[in-house]
Amino acid sequence: MNVAFLLPAAHYSSLDGRYEFGGGLLGVESLSTAMDGVDRVLENVPDQKEQVLALSKECDATRLKLSSAEGYLLSRIDGATSWGLLREIGGIPSDQVDVCLSQWIAEGTLEIVAGKAPKKAAARPKSESKSGLTVEDAPASASVECAEDGSLVIDEGALDDRLDINLNIQKRILEFEVGLGRPYHILLGVAQGADPKTVKRAYFSLSKEFHPDRYFRKEIGVYGERLDRIFKKVLEAHEILSDPELCQCQNLSANLNGAGSAKSAPNAAPSVSPLDAAESPGESPAPPRELTKLERLRQRMPFKINHAAIAGRRARADEIFRAAQVSQQSGRLTEAEASLRIAISFDPGRSEFKEALGSLRIAAAGARATQLLAKPSERMSSGELFEALRLLEDVLPYRPHDPELNERAARVCLQLGKLDDAREYTDTLLIRSPESAPAHALLGRIHRERGETDEAVSAFERALKFDEEDLEARRALASVRIGARDAARGEKS
Amino acid sequence: MSRVIGIDLGTTNSCVSVIENGQSTVIPNSGGYKTTPSMFGISQDGRRLVGHLAKRQAITNARNTVFAAKRLIGRRFDDPEVQKTIDLSPYEIVRGPNDDPRIKIGGKTFTCPEIAGIILREMKRVAEEYLSETVREAVITVPAYFNDNQRQCTKDAGKIAGLEVLRIINEPTAAALSYGMNREGDEKIAVYDLGGGTFDISILEMSDGVIEVLATSGNTFLGGEDFDRRIVQHLIEWFEETEGIDLRGDTMALQRLKDASEKAKCDLSMRDVVEINLPFIASDSEGPRHLNYELTRESLENLVHDVVEGTLKSVEQCCVDAGVQAQDIDQVVLVGGQTRMPLVQKRVTEHFGKRPHKGVNPDEVVGLGAAVQAAALLDSDNAMLLLDVTPLSLGIGTYGGHFSRLIERNTTVPVSKGHIFTTTRDDQSAVKIRVLQGESDMAAESDLLGEFVLSGIRPAAKGEPEIEVSFDIDANGIVSVSARDLATGKEQSITVSSTGTLSDTEIDEIIQEHDFYEVELKG
Repeated sequence: MNVAFLLPAAHYSSLDGRYEFGGGLLGVESLSTAMDGVDRVLENVPDQKEQVLALSKECDATRLKLSSAEGYLLSRIDGATSWGLLREIGGIPSDQVDVCLSQWIAEGTLEIVAGKAPKKAAARPKSESKSGLTVEDAPASASVECAEDGSLVIDEGALDDRLDINLNIQKRILEFEVGLGRPYHILLGVAQGADPKTVKRAYFSLSKEFHPDRYFRKEIGVYGERLDRIFKKVLEAHEILSDPELCQCQNLSANLNGAGSAKSAPNAAPSVSPLDAAESPGESPAPPRELTKLERLRQRMPFKINHAAIAGRRARADEIFRAAQVSQQSGRLTEAEASLRIAISFDPGRSEFKEALGSLRIAAAGARATQLLAKPSERMSSGELFEALRLLEDVLPYRPHDPELNERAARVCLQLGKLDDAREYTDTLLIRSPESAPAHALLGRIHRERGETDEAVSAFERALKFDEEDLEARRALASVRIGARDAARGEKS
Repeated sequence: MSRVIGIDLGTTNSCVSVIENGQSTVIPNSGGYKTTPSMFGISQDGRRLVGHLAKRQAITNARNTVFAAKRLIGRRFDDPEVQKTIDLSPYEIVRGPNDDPRIKIGGKTFTCPEIAGIILREMKRVAEEYLSETVREAVITVPAYFNDNQRQCTKDAGKIAGLEVLRIINEPTAAALSYGMNREGDEKIAVYDLGGGTFDISILEMSDGVIEVLATSGNTFLGGEDFDRRIVQHLIEWFEETEGIDLRGDTMALQRLKDASEKAKCDLSMRDVVEINLPFIASDSEGPRHLNYELTRESLENLVHDVVEGTLKSVEQCCVDAGVQAQDIDQVVLVGGQTRMPLVQKRVTEHFGKRPHKGVNPDEVVGLGAAVQAAALLDSDNAMLLLDVTPLSLGIGTYGGHFSRLIERNTTVPVSKGHIFTTTRDDQSAVKIRVLQGESDMAAESDLLGEFVLSGIRPAAKGEPEIEVSFDIDANGIVSVSARDLATGKEQSITVSSTGTLSDTEIDEIIQEHDFYEVELKG
């Protein structure tokens, strides 16, 4: 099969609109969805002139963060003036009026009290399916339509009193979902450029309303998916608004919307996918300047990295690494190892730390070995003997014929009562240095331990032949002979 | 409807809680203890013992008594942590058929979820006795660093215990929930959790009944047992020096040393000096030897000083991750018995510039928090809402063995993130999406959660096709990943159901077997 790894692409396609009514509100899509909502409102302005608007009863005007122009506009809404007239009032460009009014309707600040508020939804689903909506996405959002004339209408039929969620809340969820495409600060209900604390408050209070856990185990039908979508969007809004850098990009796009030039935005990114071309035909390409900013935002979103945190961590890792080196130089190896581990946890990407840890372990093992092996095996505790043997077994495969290592191994094994192993090491030793007195003495001791007196005697004799001064062998020989004699006497009697 | 309990399944001790009359309460076991040792043993006559009963016979029956099995759960046999535990454990750990560590005691091999399940079942029993009603559902806590597999195995353990696990939550988060219950106003909280086996630090923000996790970090190689080990090590060296006998190879002596060290350590939190008295600890040709040693608080502090400093380094890292300064923290909550140590309290106080919160019991706060979360889930009028986070970064393996993260750790869930990827060769017709979890930049060092192949990509020059990979984590922490070729609209996706180590049938078999033992014990 022709399978290989993936490579992050250097460019991103425009996927706008696809997710607006779909399910997956991806991080990458954040900006475009926000603008797309307003964009659609603008297209449909002419049909709305007849509508008469009024402040809705639930609206708390003090909660809104309005500019002076917006405040003025709001003050003119009296339940009698038509949309068309509102557009004519001086001081505010008519396209801005449209944006504001649409947003307020979407937010539930305003409601339409007279005029045409038709529910024309037939045209859109078609283009949506063309733009690649998956089948399961469609039913979930079918009840909420963005009508052609720009007013946002909730299909009351979506309300279901059999569900474990009261109708007012259902309505609130539907309404909020319709407005998901609004700019982030409006979504969260904060002023543009609000301080992080306000943003967080708003985010918390919306979380309390829309977090799926609020309806854990409740029978809420498709509202589960709605909550999921809403919460993810709220999360995204918080993420962007609480990050100064991202927020700047977002503000820029919000301004673009206000100036009415947002029409081009949905197609701003390089459109590679043929699906996009089908979806928004005939729109002019975006000026390249905005394109790069949008792209920057798109690129940053999925891989949002706290650079300050990483830099801090790296610096800390370096510091700890230096401390580890100091410890190592002054021989405090356990301490050095602990520091190195911490350094690695701070900056796992640095291979030099891992190499340092590896070589430190080797050095530590070496130091322990030197320390251990300096001690005669006769004076080792059983724990040390086992440790020494393990160390020797680690090293011997690399130097299988080293006389010193073999001798040590043999002694340790003898001490531990592993006579077969001891014999093997001694034999290896004797192949290399057949005239070594200590080796023969060792062999003698092994035979003695096994109770093979004759072999022991001859081994000790050989040891003495090569080195007459070998006191150990001489004594051992004597004791073996005495032992043998005693044994013989015992048998006789 | 039956009530839901919260269980803190600890490395050394476990604790069960419930919400009663709007207050979270720790449920004492039949012995009157509020915590139960996470121990399981099989006695010489084949009886299965849990909790205090198991602990009581641990010294005489060290080979058949399991403790600290939480260190093994959901890990692979070759995991360094498992190897370390093998070196330290008197009971036998063997390699299971799925490369998982299994525990062999009393001539029978147990999987780790099974051992955890036995302990959970005991906690369930404690709760049922107290409430006089059947309990079916629970929220269980795990350390913040636990990966998907470890969490899945803990869920399996719940199933074995006959519990439906509503949610697995992080221990420090639970501690914060318990602290934050019935509390108003905005606060930033640091939870410093130095438990038996691990160290965790979390920074959370609380406002108006909503708790958000800002950052979590910790060290899995560090915990109260390291303190014990330092004392044991010290005693062994001292004994060897004075008596010339090495106790390292003597399992029973080691277990006695371990118990005595733990006790001395605890006592030194209240007193300045303790006497460690272990008669007949060893014997040689000259007769029996006794260990008699006076340990002062000061010498203990010297022994463990660097361990405590190590935790503070993690604290600093966590502050950086959360984007806060240590002095911005309004409240420090201490969790885990080890935080009773005066040295720990002193260093934490110095580090944050304020005294830790006094109102919580470090042994019970996690279990209480689990009960709070259970109540918050089932009762939507409850004011508490936890905005939980993913513990580890998620992403996919990319060209060159790299790990591209799509969802950074500490991201609030539920969440969706996506990114566009492309091919690396001309006319490449398929790509393999390997879903990884971990903090390393290298794919090989990360945990593989699952993989799938997206095929049928239209032939094109390398770098041209656009494949959108999107990750979705729902409120229950279930991860699904999809890949879509933007040119053809072809899509492939998986829901990452962590493999765990047990199949459903295996779990059913285990449940049946334990039911059998349950009957036998009562009869």
